Amino acid sequence: MKRGRVLIGALGLLALLGAVVVIGHALRHPDLPTGVSEDQLEGSDPRDETDCPQPLPREGQARDEQSRSATILDVSSNNLYDCPQHYDGERVRYRGEVVGALLHRDTGVWLQLNDDVYAELIGPLPAHRDYRGGNAGVGVLLPTQLAAQIEFIGGPQTRGDVIEVEGTFNRIDPSGEVAVIRADTAELTTNGEPFPDPLLPDRRAAAIVAFLLATGLVAAERVVARRR
Amino acid sequence: MLLRPDRRDIVIIGHLTGLVLIGTGLVMFIPATLAILWGEHNEAAAFVIAGCLAILPGLLMRLRARSFRPPRWDHGMIVTAVSWLAAPFFAAIPLFLSGHYGSFLDAYFDAMSGFATAGLAVINDLDHLARSVNLWRHITHFMGGQGLILIMLSLFPAHQGAMGMYVGEGREDRILPNVVHTVRFIWQVSLAWLAVGSLALWGALLSAGMPLAEGLFHAISLFMAAFDTGGFAPTSAGIGLYHSPLTEAVITVLMVAGCLAFALHHHLWRGRWMQLWHHTEMRLLVASVAGLFTLMAVGLASSGAYTTVGELLRRGMFHLLSAHTGTGFNSIPGRLFVTQWGTLAPAAIVLAMGFGGMAGSTAGGIKLIRMAVAAKGLRQMLRASVLPRDAVTIESVHQGQRSVLHDPAIRAAYTILLLYLLLYAIGAAAGLFYGYPFTEAMFESTSAAAAVGLSVGITGPTMETGLQIVYILQMWLGRLEFVAVLSLLGFAWSTLRGRT
Repeated sequence: MKRGRVLIGALGLLALLGAVVVIGHALRHPDLPTGVSEDQLEGSDPRDETDCPQPLPREGQARDEQSRSATILDVSSNNLYDCPQHYDGERVRYRGEVVGALLHRDTGVWLQLNDDVYAELIGPLPAHRDYRGGNAGVGVLLPTQLAAQIEFIGGPQTRGDVIEVEGTFNRIDPSGEVAVIRADTAELTTNGEPFPDPLLPDRRAAAIVAFLLATGLVAAERVVARRR
Repeated sequence: MLLRPDRRDIVIIGHLTGLVLIGTGLVMFIPATLAILWGEHNEAAAFVIAGCLAILPGLLMRLRARSFRPPRWDHGMIVTAVSWLAAPFFAAIPLFLSGHYGSFLDAYFDAMSGFATAGLAVINDLDHLARSVNLWRHITHFMGGQGLILIMLSLFPAHQGAMGMYVGEGREDRILPNVVHTVRFIWQVSLAWLAVGSLALWGALLSAGMPLAEGLFHAISLFMAAFDTGGFAPTSAGIGLYHSPLTEAVITVLMVAGCLAFALHHHLWRGRWMQLWHHTEMRLLVASVAGLFTLMAVGLASSGAYTTVGELLRRGMFHLLSAHTGTGFNSIPGRLFVTQWGTLAPAAIVLAMGFGGMAGSTAGGIKLIRMAVAAKGLRQMLRASVLPRDAVTIESVHQGQRSVLHDPAIRAAYTILLLYLLLYAIGAAAGLFYGYPFTEAMFESTSAAAAVGLSVGITGPTMETGLQIVYILQMWLGRLEFVAVLSLLGFAWSTLRGRT
């Protein structure tokens, strides 16, 4: 086989793959504006030095009661995971979107509260193309009666309720769970809702064409195979 | 003299690769059907498009190739290497069309991570992902863990050159005399585990308070990720979402089952339980877990991450086994590895990831048999140096039956071991180049190359493109254990430089 033919074949293959990617771009969800500036990115970068608000106690040492804050601390999930020892046992206020599932137990209801940009700022994907990274959230144990107000749980095509909880952050909870908030108050701040994912006509048409093409080729291959 | 491959070689490779793609495309109709049932019509269309596009090259090759000579061993190797690049490309299409990926490369990264059973992910906003696409991510684990070639051999069993492809996919053990029978047995075991494991997980999740239908979806997804030592989870919180020691226990059993060689499964299937005692890799796994857990316990105790033995056992053992089996599930937020675990415990995790599971399983990494052979080779050398010159030293390993170690086997083990170490180092160097601290760069690189998936936060939607490409190559090379990739490189070189 000549090198020229190999080169042409390789280039042709690359062009075909490129065409598939271009078609993929054309068939994506519409690029709707979110009205949020580009400069905010979620998540901690491992290259950043973690700057905890107070000096951490020595490793393995428990903090004394007097060193705890008298006020309620407003926290994000990044704060809690970056400096778990600093916030351990502190009373915190935390707000986020309910996602995943409500896990009803005898001790209360476990839920996951996400405080990433998709929770409140720009809304969930794929309703827009403002990609801001992965999710971030904290596990919260809520008394059963407080969990009753939650109606929408974030997930596919559903934006979850946003609630604000107050409670104690435990680096290690008495239940054995790690880095969770044991909440005693919860307030529904924003109602969740199902978000529409309107049918994309171009994608549907492309699917029909691809299906017909594949079916036609299967039929042709069967005919050729029978002749052989 | 280096011979240039001719058109017939291309036809054979194209034809067999096409069959792998047909298999991949056909599987996509499963999530397509479920997407329709779940009312996810845009996703259903995406799966149909991707499935049909994957099927087309295979069909075209079948139409064009009227006849071809029987494939050789090296053809099988090349088919494996090419298939493992091509199948993630088509698998990435529905991921990309889900609207959760910033670029096609991101989607390709997750597809490769899925097939390689790594579990590293760069998806945006996973928690709002369509259910069918989420399931597809886990199905890629199941397909990759079982093996793409294995799926192709299941769908189109009567192929010569099957052994080359089978070995090229990182499997050396022929459990039964015939490759096709071996493939059938692997499916038999996997489907039995699928039924039992999913039910056990469903029960554990229901007891954790999970709703019925949601629990089933999570159970099946988690099973595929655990048994095939993948590591994707249905939500961003991972296993931590469930706050359930029972769920973690069931997952631990599945992870360990997944890292056992299918040949060992065959012995257990036949009731030969003593094989667990005699098997060299099983012994090494137990010793390695015990040793590394001791190291980890010292590290966790000194860092003060956990204050009771129960907590230390639960968190430490889960993550150690998750790393050793190559699964990569985490039950705590990944950031805590950096801020809470000190240095020694993550080092134990890195070592466990690097060692990996058993050869002929779904696990990645160097593999325990190679560690055992290398160690025994070293011992043989040391014994020979102190014993009289005419003394004969013999070392053996037990994998179903005892076999004496010969020099070629020892050399092969050392070669692959060195290649893995080199691969881990290259990824770490890339991480250092992008400014990450050494510990984090080494952790993430080992996780990618050993197809584990634990992350300290380097891998994510905002990671650098260059690093992303390095990790993709690491996952590809690590999963195929180098031989098939080296065959592909040799093929490319002979195409360019060979003579007709």
